Amino acid sequence: MNGKLTWILAICISIFFAGCVPKQTYYFGNYSKTLYALEKYQNEETLIRHKQELEKIISESQVQNLAVPPGIYAELGYIYLKENKSKEAVTLFETESQLYPESKHLMDRLIQSAKAKESSDTNVSNISTTATDNSDSK
Amino acid sequence: MKKSTYWLYGILIVLFMSACAPTMSTKSSEFPLMYEENPVTILILPPMNESTAADAKEYYSTTIQEPLAFYGYYTFPYPITADILKMEGIYDTELLINTPLAKFKEYFGADAVLFTTIKKWDLSYMVLASTLTVSVDCQLKSTTSDQTLWKYNGTVVVDLSGGNTGGGVAGLIAKAIVTAMSTAMADYVPYARQANYRALASMPYGKYHAQHNKDQQVQFIDQTPETSDSPNANPTQ
Repeated sequence: MNGKLTWILAICISIFFAGCVPKQTYYFGNYSKTLYALEKYQNEETLIRHKQELEKIISESQVQNLAVPPGIYAELGYIYLKENKSKEAVTLFETESQLYPESKHLMDRLIQSAKAKESSDTNVSNISTTATDNSDSK
Repeated sequence: MKKSTYWLYGILIVLFMSACAPTMSTKSSEFPLMYEENPVTILILPPMNESTAADAKEYYSTTIQEPLAFYGYYTFPYPITADILKMEGIYDTELLINTPLAKFKEYFGADAVLFTTIKKWDLSYMVLASTLTVSVDCQLKSTTSDQTLWKYNGTVVVDLSGGNTGGGVAGLIAKAIVTAMSTAMADYVPYARQANYRALASMPYGKYHAQHNKDQQVQFIDQTPETSDSPNANPTQ
């Protein structure tokens, strides 16, 4: 009897919570934790941790057969962009814009700046200027 | 024995109902523009911090993305957009609130922009129960019409005492230790996220949520005081 009661209680409690919490449709891992650490301390160690977390979110989402959450590919791409790995960055930005078409506008902008960075290899820090410099075709 | 079981059922059913269906406002009557404009992409602007906690801004901005994604929206990665805004010389969100927002549509492709003012971010330390009180004022504004699509103005209290550790005096002592530890560790990320989830409770679901465009009649506790539109700092104390 006691065991049965516990079961009923457990079921009721789980129903109670299920009604109020949004359904789990994404895997976010420790995203906010590592991002917070990165924003707060802004050092190499926190950056590596956050990068690993992003990679883990991507692989874990694939394992669980879930869509990778919005912005994850883009954020990882942005880290690559800062590390001057433009090719990897472009691939990730493209993946993001395929997965979430509404991000295309910003992703195209980021892809342009990644390509500009690649071709001129100088420190292009302004993404704002729509990079259409074909200056080396002379 | 039988009678007490019925009582238990009764209490649980009441609890269940009371938590999920408070009769106050429906989403569509309160935020009709959300259903009209159907924003998909949300740009999170750096929050304005009026609280005394220096960390509040980071806690807020790093934990808001996740709940918004679960609500079915596409949020631009905060680290990227914050970086771009800085490069564009936008440090002060306050200056943007009454300006035309079309530039965010043009630049980022954002349908809506989220403005947040953190009014209060207080930790209260007590022996057996510590709480985090978060008071925010959020507004989701359209980049096409500049109108406010959704807003939340309220306080969320999160219990930091780390769950129940069992009864008796030993349990209480254990609980006090857990409380002390969790406040000392200063890892409030999960609590900040929890506060954000609750602040978003009245927001209609977005494109990527199964309930998108089906939640018009969903009711919620209306915490938005209609009269206090002017941001007056610290009503209490």
